[in-house]
Amino acid sequence: MLLLAGCTALRQEAPPAAASTNAAVVALLDKAQIQSSAGQLPEASGSLERALRIEPRNPALWQALARVRLEQGLYRQAENLAAKSNSLIAGDGALRQENWRIIGQARTRRGDLQGARDAFEKAAQP
Amino acid sequence: MAKRKVSRIKLIIVIMLVGVCAAGAYAVYLDFAVRARFEGKRFALPARVYARPLEIYPGLKLNLSELTAELALLGYRQTSAAREPGTYRWRGQSLDLVSRAFVFGDGPQASISCTVSFTDDRVVALTGRDGQVALDLVRLDPALIGGIYPGENEDRVLASLSEVPESVVDALIAVEDRRFYSHHGIDPRGIARAFVMTVSGKSVQGGSTLTQQLIKNFYLTAERTMRRKLTEMVMALLLEKHYSKEEILETYLNEVYLGQDGNRAIHGIGLASVFFFDKPLPHLGLSEGALLVGMLKGPAYFSPRKHPKRALDRRNLVLAQMVETGSITEQQCRAAQAAPLGVVDRPPRGTSPYPAFLGLIHRQLRRDYRDEDLRSEGLQIFSTLDPQVQRVAEQALQERLTRLEKARSLKPGLLQGAVLVTATQDAEVKACVGGRNPRFEGFNRALDARRPIGSLIKPLVYLTALQHPSQYTLATLLDDSPLVLKQAGTGDWAPQNYDKRFHGRVPLRMALAHSYNVSTARLGLALGVAPIMANVRQLGVERDLPVFASSLLGANALSPLEVTQVYQSIASGGFRTPLRAIREVLTAQGEPLQRYPLNVEQVIEPAPNYLLTSAMQAVVHEGTAQGLYNSLSPDLDIAGKTGTTDDYRDSWFAGFTGDRLGVVWIGRDDNESTGLTGASGAMGVWQDVMVALDPEPLLLAAPDNVESVWIEPASGLLSAAGCPDAVELPFIVGSAPTRRAACGPSSLGGSIKNWFKGIFQ
Repeated sequence: MLLLAGCTALRQEAPPAAASTNAAVVALLDKAQIQSSAGQLPEASGSLERALRIEPRNPALWQALARVRLEQGLYRQAENLAAKSNSLIAGDGALRQENWRIIGQARTRRGDLQGARDAFEKAAQP
Repeated sequence: MAKRKVSRIKLIIVIMLVGVCAAGAYAVYLDFAVRARFEGKRFALPARVYARPLEIYPGLKLNLSELTAELALLGYRQTSAAREPGTYRWRGQSLDLVSRAFVFGDGPQASISCTVSFTDDRVVALTGRDGQVALDLVRLDPALIGGIYPGENEDRVLASLSEVPESVVDALIAVEDRRFYSHHGIDPRGIARAFVMTVSGKSVQGGSTLTQQLIKNFYLTAERTMRRKLTEMVMALLLEKHYSKEEILETYLNEVYLGQDGNRAIHGIGLASVFFFDKPLPHLGLSEGALLVGMLKGPAYFSPRKHPKRALDRRNLVLAQMVETGSITEQQCRAAQAAPLGVVDRPPRGTSPYPAFLGLIHRQLRRDYRDEDLRSEGLQIFSTLDPQVQRVAEQALQERLTRLEKARSLKPGLLQGAVLVTATQDAEVKACVGGRNPRFEGFNRALDARRPIGSLIKPLVYLTALQHPSQYTLATLLDDSPLVLKQAGTGDWAPQNYDKRFHGRVPLRMALAHSYNVSTARLGLALGVAPIMANVRQLGVERDLPVFASSLLGANALSPLEVTQVYQSIASGGFRTPLRAIREVLTAQGEPLQRYPLNVEQVIEPAPNYLLTSAMQAVVHEGTAQGLYNSLSPDLDIAGKTGTTDDYRDSWFAGFTGDRLGVVWIGRDDNESTGLTGASGAMGVWQDVMVALDPEPLLLAAPDNVESVWIEPASGLLSAAGCPDAVELPFIVGSAPTRRAACGPSSLGGSIKNWFKGIFQ
């Protein structure tokens, strides 16, 4: 039950469980999560940027930032940031799929339906 | 008779009325004048600029001397217990620290008391001192690094009363005007004393309240007449009617004259704090504040630089008077009296230690704000400047230029340079050096010196080629035989290589690594100059560049800042992020006004950018920048490019590691020859910067559509591991050669070699 709840939450918003081994980064990611849930999106963005200064090549952080931009309605930015996250991933198929989902959502919301379909297709590939 | 009397009375009344009217009009005039004067001085709070706040967390690479320098910049004091905010104490390899409370863009942050433990230049533990809990992260308050000042007051450090240490105000009131908070602008007792002195034939003096002194300062005349004095009094009364004590005090502190630096007058307590102690005002201690207040009586006579003994006695007298008014205890007084003057030997040149960086910030702000708002609204600017990186960059440039001049018997001071250091992924500018004297506020070469970039253009030529994988790969053989381009209207163009030789057929990757001009020019002509210049724009140069054949070899002039923007896009994997010097802007009250969020735009496909970067790594491993690995580890896998222009006028180096991008230019202000190549000049500065910064290696994740293939470089054909000279190169999928070299996969030689290799592995 708990596991199930965890899984659905993961789909929706939570960054992957072990996004970093650095406690400071994890703390900032948590903070961003809380700020984001409270609708404090610029603040959430600020916390993620702090985390990125510590781990600039961590794709999970770029992905979290892409998600915040999506919430902010900045769809092109969300797309670019998800692509940036993808460019830093070696392996990790799940993270890559999630980036494609974000890109798909961003394209949907700005009316690029064909582009969105392509992205969701890539998100479906393991 | 009666008639005459009446008319005389009338006359007297008229005269009196006229007199009252005139006095009234004069008072109205004075009222207007003093308010106009006061308003002109008030509310012009400059924007204040902060460095990045240092974030401390377990795992952070930070050595003890860097942290000590940071604490000094912040004005933290070393004490025996470290209990107050802004104090610290070293205990061997660990540091007890109490941070100051600060209002950041994401809200106020309380003071934190913690212990930071170090091992081998790394933070290994961070513990809260209340209850010994482990902390994840501590953000210190940011250092104030300068201000943007009203035009007429360029050379002021205007302060709001909240920034003035309480002890300074206490000292001022104890010494200059003890009844300041109770009088209405003039002090009758003081006037009586002054009157007696005047009547008894001595000079007109004393008895001035702070308000009167302020008015005297408004009208910078030394005139000392009774009329002047009366006017002052009326104005003082008027001023107090319109403004609060705090407003008057604040203006007073920003107006006072405190000394002379050649023909530059030092006005205001904020500038005096920098001029005498090289510290921002909020960091002044009790004894320092008392010294400044003591000097008001006679800035020249009590000058701590010229007459230290006199200044010391005067300071101690001020401290004693503070005990009299009860603002400090006997004990505090004794401790402060025992302290040395603490004045820095040489006054710093400008009001900011980082004028070049401030110039960059100012330029970015001007896009979004009116200049007068920047200079008057007291905005708080949070910048990206990292004082540690800045210090390293300044030092590297200064020392390297001095050494180069000495080694080459050049006139000292002849060479100039500029350095920019950024973070590769988020494009934050960490350091900006505009010349070899970093405190000089003049020509900012990092921003304004546009110079031909020479071979720094070559990566753009190769990038444009690699964007056509069906025609060009890293293994493609380029033609480096003599080339003559016939151009209508101008003479023939016949580019030469640096070694004055031609190299026949060379692999594309090697042509870049060795910076061959001829093969690059031929490649560029085949691609077309226009698409290459379009790529330069795409990567971040925001203006049109001339399109000439010579542009292919870097005839176009760019500023170091523009070069940094272009290389930034390559370093961040083909994603352009406008270089950022500002994180956010807050109002004077600490309300967020504007953020400069991290935005990226993919401008180059990941695969060609990856191939280009790997060729730029070859520049350092095998090409013109090999010298870097004499003092840096080859494991860093640095990507870089040297640049030299005609007659050795400009020496460039641009390169990046995993976390840092650096761009260095060296040249002469008169644009004459320096005798330096990119490798013998700018690269040395870059190397010194990186050695000091201890950067992260450049580890790249290969894009999905890139595969690794063994190649025989001489033929550009398919080879295999174990074949002589075979190299493993990245290719965009489908672009690798299909024809096999003599020694290659499934060839006899290759199989035998592989078989041997298998045995010995």
